[in-house]
Amino acid sequence: MDITRRQFIKSAAAQSAVASAAVLFPGISFGAWKNVSSGGIEWKKTPCRFCGTGCGLLVGVSGDRAVAVKGDPNCTVNKGLCCVKGYHSIQILYGKDRVTTALVRKNGKMVETPLKEALDLVASKMQETIKSHGKDAVAMYGSGQWSITDGYVSSKLFKGCIGTNNLEANARLCMASAVTGFLTSFGMDEPMGSYDDIDHADVFITWGNNMAEMHPVLFSRMLANRKAKNHVKIIDLATRTTRNSQAADKSILFKPQTDLAVANAICYEIIRNRWVNWDFVKKHVSFHKGKTNIGYGTQDHFKFTDKAETVDFEAYKAFLEDYTPEKVEKLSGVPAKDIKYLAALFGDPDKKVVSYWCMGMNQHTRGTWINNLVYNCHLLVGKISQPGNGPFSLTGQPSACGTVREVGTLTHKLPKGVVMKEGARKLAAKIWDVPVENIDPKPTYHTVEMFRALDRGDIRFMWIQVTNPMVTMPNLNRYRDGAKKDGRFIVVSEIYPTPTYDVADVVLPAALWIEREGFFGNSERRTQHNEQIIPMPGDCMSNTWQIIEVARRMGFEKQFPWSEETYIEDTWNEYIQFHDNPKHRMAPYNDLKAKSGIVWPYVNGLETKWRYNAKYDPAAEGDSFDFYGKPDRRAWIWLRPYEPPAESPDSEYPFWLNTGRILEHWHTGSMTRRVPVLHRAVPEAYVEINPDDAARLGITNGIKVKVSSRRGSVTMKASINGRGRPPRGMVFVPFFDESYLINEATLDAFCPISKQPDYKKCAVKLEIV
Amino acid sequence: MEKPKQNGDQKVGKVFLIFAGICIVALPLIVFSALSSEPEGMETIAAETQDMDFDDSGKTIFVNYDQISADYLEGTSTARTLDEYYSLRQYPGSPPLIPHKVEEPDLAPVECLTCHARGGWTEELKKNTPITPHPEQEACRQCHITVTEAGLFVENDWMSLAPPRLGRASLPGAPPPVPHDLQMRGNCIACHVGPGSVAAIRVEHPSRGNCRQCHVPETNAPLFERKPKS
Repeated sequence: MDITRRQFIKSAAAQSAVASAAVLFPGISFGAWKNVSSGGIEWKKTPCRFCGTGCGLLVGVSGDRAVAVKGDPNCTVNKGLCCVKGYHSIQILYGKDRVTTALVRKNGKMVETPLKEALDLVASKMQETIKSHGKDAVAMYGSGQWSITDGYVSSKLFKGCIGTNNLEANARLCMASAVTGFLTSFGMDEPMGSYDDIDHADVFITWGNNMAEMHPVLFSRMLANRKAKNHVKIIDLATRTTRNSQAADKSILFKPQTDLAVANAICYEIIRNRWVNWDFVKKHVSFHKGKTNIGYGTQDHFKFTDKAETVDFEAYKAFLEDYTPEKVEKLSGVPAKDIKYLAALFGDPDKKVVSYWCMGMNQHTRGTWINNLVYNCHLLVGKISQPGNGPFSLTGQPSACGTVREVGTLTHKLPKGVVMKEGARKLAAKIWDVPVENIDPKPTYHTVEMFRALDRGDIRFMWIQVTNPMVTMPNLNRYRDGAKKDGRFIVVSEIYPTPTYDVADVVLPAALWIEREGFFGNSERRTQHNEQIIPMPGDCMSNTWQIIEVARRMGFEKQFPWSEETYIEDTWNEYIQFHDNPKHRMAPYNDLKAKSGIVWPYVNGLETKWRYNAKYDPAAEGDSFDFYGKPDRRAWIWLRPYEPPAESPDSEYPFWLNTGRILEHWHTGSMTRRVPVLHRAVPEAYVEINPDDAARLGITNGIKVKVSSRRGSVTMKASINGRGRPPRGMVFVPFFDESYLINEATLDAFCPISKQPDYKKCAVKLEIV
Repeated sequence: MEKPKQNGDQKVGKVFLIFAGICIVALPLIVFSALSSEPEGMETIAAETQDMDFDDSGKTIFVNYDQISADYLEGTSTARTLDEYYSLRQYPGSPPLIPHKVEEPDLAPVECLTCHARGGWTEELKKNTPITPHPEQEACRQCHITVTEAGLFVENDWMSLAPPRLGRASLPGAPPPVPHDLQMRGNCIACHVGPGSVAAIRVEHPSRGNCRQCHVPETNAPLFERKPKS
């Protein structure tokens, strides 16, 4: 039952013994913790462990214990502020069930095993599998939470030494559409702008993005900018009402997938009103179209390659005729006047506009397209690559950019360039000291297909680090069953027991975050170093060193010669050779050690805050913009149509299922659920239901509801008028809770260009149980 | 969706009505003065690192002090204890939990700050409201959360820090140093004066606004040692 404010006031007054909060919260209050015997605390810098914002933290250390956190005032990302996860982040290190020894499955039971023996087994099992099933039968599945060196050594081992492209990372589920969006529109990955844009913009448009909960510190900076300037507007364009909508000046709801049409309609209006910045467009933009009816990838072995065709502005204008605000209103539910309002914000030459997005646009069966279309809005009016003007793709994970995108831990990538290009293979072979023939020119499996290959038996050995795919894979039942099949060997480097740990044959105890030296790379191209701040418990070992140990056992001592004292620095120094050019130069080790993060390209000791603009970017030629990523040195506007989602509600499954994160929990909750205050704030997942739908179905707050799709079902508590409110016909479920595996219901359809699955749209039905 | 508005039938204490007026006038002024310099262009990039220490926001704090009535400064009718204060925190300086029920949707800037920007008596909770030292931060619930369940997912072996001892003057009668970090907590009068403050840390001379002319931060720095250049 929902409690109104009036009822709350009454009940609060009645139990005004509320006074003693210590009684209210036994066990997590300050006094309940043992204290360190303090000789004062020392503050050490590190990037936060959690999201892609990349806040700088100062961790208070007493002896060998991390006891306190404050925001790093020297870090321009957060300027001294954190969110609730960051402030309590140090408690993730101390969960009682921390994995501190290696475990090996023997006769069906996990048995504690000396670490050396477990590493021997991993190496020999990998060699055995290569011998019996070929090199493409072994795979590594990593993470956007990998330290940069973890990703780098795994690429070197798998692509350079073993010679398989079976290397993927969970960022495929999170950022792949952002990458293909950047590559297709600009020819180079990662945002042109930086967080400094927040302090300069007049208008913020959040596209399907609940920044208030997922990037809270950046959201606070946005609010501060609005407060300081009076005229600043935040427009929330989304499929569901969230905390972001509540704080926005205007909340505009669209029907799932119709963001494609809305973005095109904005461009239609910009052109119709003659708001096009012709000076910019004539010099710096070219027009292109690709294939249409491109499919959804739900079948095994799905293949798709786009083909670009250059067209002219007139063709683009004709293409947009299908997207008048009036037509799009019918499709999207967004009133034509709101579309015109959005277009007018872009069209006003006196307003600086920043667009933000994250999973709403990326986890989308047309994820690449919607990324392209938002770039179109900015390109038509030339609002890009300048302070306060620009489209900005936010990252979900702390090093999705740093490790996965920059190191290239994806099947088709190398640290610089793609495996298909001979030049890229030659450079990698030279730096890695391996024969160039070792590097396979053919990509193998993207993440979804990799888990399908594991299910089919094409892959027999998989090593999983810093991610929890047995919670996060869409259409989870198939992939969990596949991982558990006979003849599969799963190695998991973990810090806590998880559903992925449950399917492992070997568990390697991993060092976590500040227990080891490492680097993250955040959304704004900022590389952030942390030293080892506290000791690692038990037999724990950094992921980088685990990979090096296994590589050496497989005979690759020559490629991994570093000492345990200096391997992080040595790996960094080798890695940055790949990016030694003004378009991507990384900061030297000592600079990173000294500063709270440095934005690349880092040229002559200066960060590049706005790329492609000669005023700020030393790699840009001429005196204005230079989109040097593309051969025509222009940014590409794409003609991308609306196409329907892979699965839509129907009479049998009448609701959209939308999934995502919440403020208190990080991803699958394996860390944050072990933090008492975070767990106690949101102890379990729930299904958010629109109040009208709930009333119609007789569902009340807190009763158990079965949410089922064609693939699976979850029974969980209903939440009505909770922190988020889906529109009628949609439900939302957060995915942090391993007890309610909502991904058993989601669909493994993906964007054919990026291969990133859509976690935001499939059809479900609701039943009271 | 409609832009959230303050609900008309909210019960509000009389104190709120008085303070709301002050807030409306004072807050934009305070924040504007803090954020009014805007970096432009490349030459300012290097200088953008901000120090969040008290000294950087000194003006804000003096303005804030100016806005608070002498009666409020002298107020002492509090029931808050230091134990209660710490019971809402994980370590000295961690953001406190919200010890009362809050509602969805989250209208934090409206709802939290109506009481916590300027304090005063709340009839609903029968308490004096503590004041936030950082009212310029509006997304309150990104750091301050509630508790909905008592149980744990897994036990935790983390250890905390003992709170600082109070009143550690170096000499008899000397002003004690500031025993805590000033980041996010540099606005002394928010916590150390008025009826909502914790009795044990309330100052006896609240009308003196330039706190840091006498109270200086205490750090772990070793004693001064002269290193003459040869």
